[in-house]
Amino acid sequence: MNPRKDLITINSLSDEDIRTILASTSAMKDIFTKSVKKVPALKGKSVLTLFYEPSTRTRSSFEVAAHRLSADVTTFTVSTSSVVKGESVHDTIDTLMSMKMDYIIVRHKNSGIPAVIARHCKAAVINAGDGAHAHPSQAFLDAFTIQEKYGDVAGRRVVIIGDILHSRVARSTSTILRRLGAQVAYMGPGPLVPPRQHTGIPRFTNWEQIFEWKPDVIYLLRVQNERIDTPFFPTADYHAAFGVTEERLRRIDDLNLSIMHPGPVNRGVEICDTAMEYRNCLINNQVENGIAARMSILYHLTPQTQCHD
Amino acid sequence: MTNTYITNATWALTGEKIDLRMGHGDEPITIHRDGIALPGISKVTPAGEMQVPAGARQINAEGKILLPALFDLHATINIDGHSKRESIYRAGQAANRGGVWGMLVMPSRGFVFDNAATLDSFDDAVSQRSLATMVPAGCITEGMKGEQQAPYNTLAARGVTILSDSGNMPASLLMLHRAMKYAAEMELTFAIRGDVPCLSHNTYMHPSSTSYLLGLHGTPACAEEIGIETIIRLAKDAGVRLHVQTVSTAEGVEIIRRAKAAGMKGLTAEVALHHLLYTHENVGDYDTTFKTVPPLRESSDCAALLAGVKDGTIDCIVTDHTPCLPFAKKQDFVSAPQGMVGLDTFLPAIYTHLVKPGKLSWAEVVRACCTAPVDIVNPYDREEDVPVAAPLLLFSPDEQQLITADSLSCGTTNNPMLGSTLSGTVTLPINR
Repeated sequence: MNPRKDLITINSLSDEDIRTILASTSAMKDIFTKSVKKVPALKGKSVLTLFYEPSTRTRSSFEVAAHRLSADVTTFTVSTSSVVKGESVHDTIDTLMSMKMDYIIVRHKNSGIPAVIARHCKAAVINAGDGAHAHPSQAFLDAFTIQEKYGDVAGRRVVIIGDILHSRVARSTSTILRRLGAQVAYMGPGPLVPPRQHTGIPRFTNWEQIFEWKPDVIYLLRVQNERIDTPFFPTADYHAAFGVTEERLRRIDDLNLSIMHPGPVNRGVEICDTAMEYRNCLINNQVENGIAARMSILYHLTPQTQCHD
Repeated sequence: MTNTYITNATWALTGEKIDLRMGHGDEPITIHRDGIALPGISKVTPAGEMQVPAGARQINAEGKILLPALFDLHATINIDGHSKRESIYRAGQAANRGGVWGMLVMPSRGFVFDNAATLDSFDDAVSQRSLATMVPAGCITEGMKGEQQAPYNTLAARGVTILSDSGNMPASLLMLHRAMKYAAEMELTFAIRGDVPCLSHNTYMHPSSTSYLLGLHGTPACAEEIGIETIIRLAKDAGVRLHVQTVSTAEGVEIIRRAKAAGMKGLTAEVALHHLLYTHENVGDYDTTFKTVPPLRESSDCAALLAGVKDGTIDCIVTDHTPCLPFAKKQDFVSAPQGMVGLDTFLPAIYTHLVKPGKLSWAEVVRACCTAPVDIVNPYDREEDVPVAAPLLLFSPDEQQLITADSLSCGTTNNPMLGSTLSGTVTLPINR
């Protein structure tokens, strides 16, 4: 693939870029089975994780990925930084760039922040989730997980269920899956699913329509209460109306469908307890593949930081 | 005193070519043509019929359009970090370049027009520093906080005719209703943008394919439309004049059209030029220049707004000039302030994008940008004790200008025309 500095959205990638990163994800995953789970690809490079929003899974996944590529990882903890004292993102980045970081992995509650940072600095910037905009590394791990399960993403049908409006995962994952030839549909409570004329993605309103559509993968999203100030829908309805109940799990099992979820899971809300042990539940595969996909992304980006070797 | 002669000018309202004589002895003279005052003009003849004495100053206006200068009914001039005098000077300079002789200045952080002292010091600074007439709009509420009515009697005594909290809809309709009833007896006009704050809270652009792609919450059109319907009904009940600010949706135009058709008196409305020219698609990949309130909507809304201007439902086209510092606009879309500047480029942009492609006639431009706004504001010179009349300007449609950061006088660069070439330049005053 052509050298590129940043990964902000899936849309910014060419088809070739997407296939290259996916192909290397497989190679990276092979490293996990070796006795030494580490390669020297990014030896001597500095990676900074800059998370303005709480995250355990994505952050540690990136950190493990960077360590396995032999990079030095620094964690910028926002709650103890001058950001809480009112410092702007630009000024924080100036400070961090003085520390000569090569890669910055950033998460922020505002859509568009990683792009602003990317324009402002020479380090390679990876968007680890910005507002409801994009989460490209999640998209890669999801596409890779489906490819691993079915051999190919093309021709698969994936229905994404839940809070689409606030979900960067829905946007990025639907984009990559459609670019790779899959069909995607959405379902969720009315106010949380944008209309088809805005998304270009068909919109179902109940499970019967989903089963009729014959999907391969049921992709569940978490109900993001932390992004909701005024209620969008009566939460007491959610499990019965939109969740994977015991009864729906039996039908999913009969039809041999897969279940995915970006985590963390709210048991009893979007998914019943037993679904976590379901034979085609790919949630743990997603976590493992997340590290490989992030290694591949780090490996393929080219910081513009200067070297005098 | 010598006269200046302007020959072969094309009169915007009719397209006739005319000659003009400026001044006559020492007497200031104003004559009228097609219902428009021509201040300082003592004689008008068809082109070629004016006797120009030998040695007199003559300006050949061949190929140039003569029209009254524009009045902008919606300008915010405060530039953060600049002094008030500097903000006033910059806005006046930009206005003149854009063909604007006067403007209604919205209250803002730097100019809180809710007391006599602020208005007096503003008037002083304007008379010393401004190239353009600046009429302050008084605050509806103290400090624009939406709680307690500002002292309208005091403001009116200082020449205030329009009240506005600059785009903020007071949260309490009861307070607003009482304010309108109180102000109605002082012949004041309320200038308010239709909005329901709880529906537009934490929203950043028009709900659309672009907002979905960018993950930004959309401002529903119904927030504006319910707001317009609400302020119209309040004003009607209170018997006060109402000017609806920056209408952006097709249905908003229709609500105003229905109210006017039903015979409501004292109802006027404006559209910002950018709502006629741009849509949500211009936001592209988080271009903060195109972050506005209300947001840029669909092309069908642009078309309905233009139709509203043409049939008189929308009385005025305004700039909604809002300077934002470059640093502020370089932030992410959510954090960046809303607003565009438009004074520098107002008439050239109107000509390039509306008149030249045949969407608006010069007569419609004169109505929407020159006469209607002046009728709404009634600018008055209290020292001379006379209404202030619009000066004339000459517009050279064939001259091209590339809009660059250096070519803007307004002090900031958040102009959507930046980098584009506009047709037409302005000569104001005409004997410059």
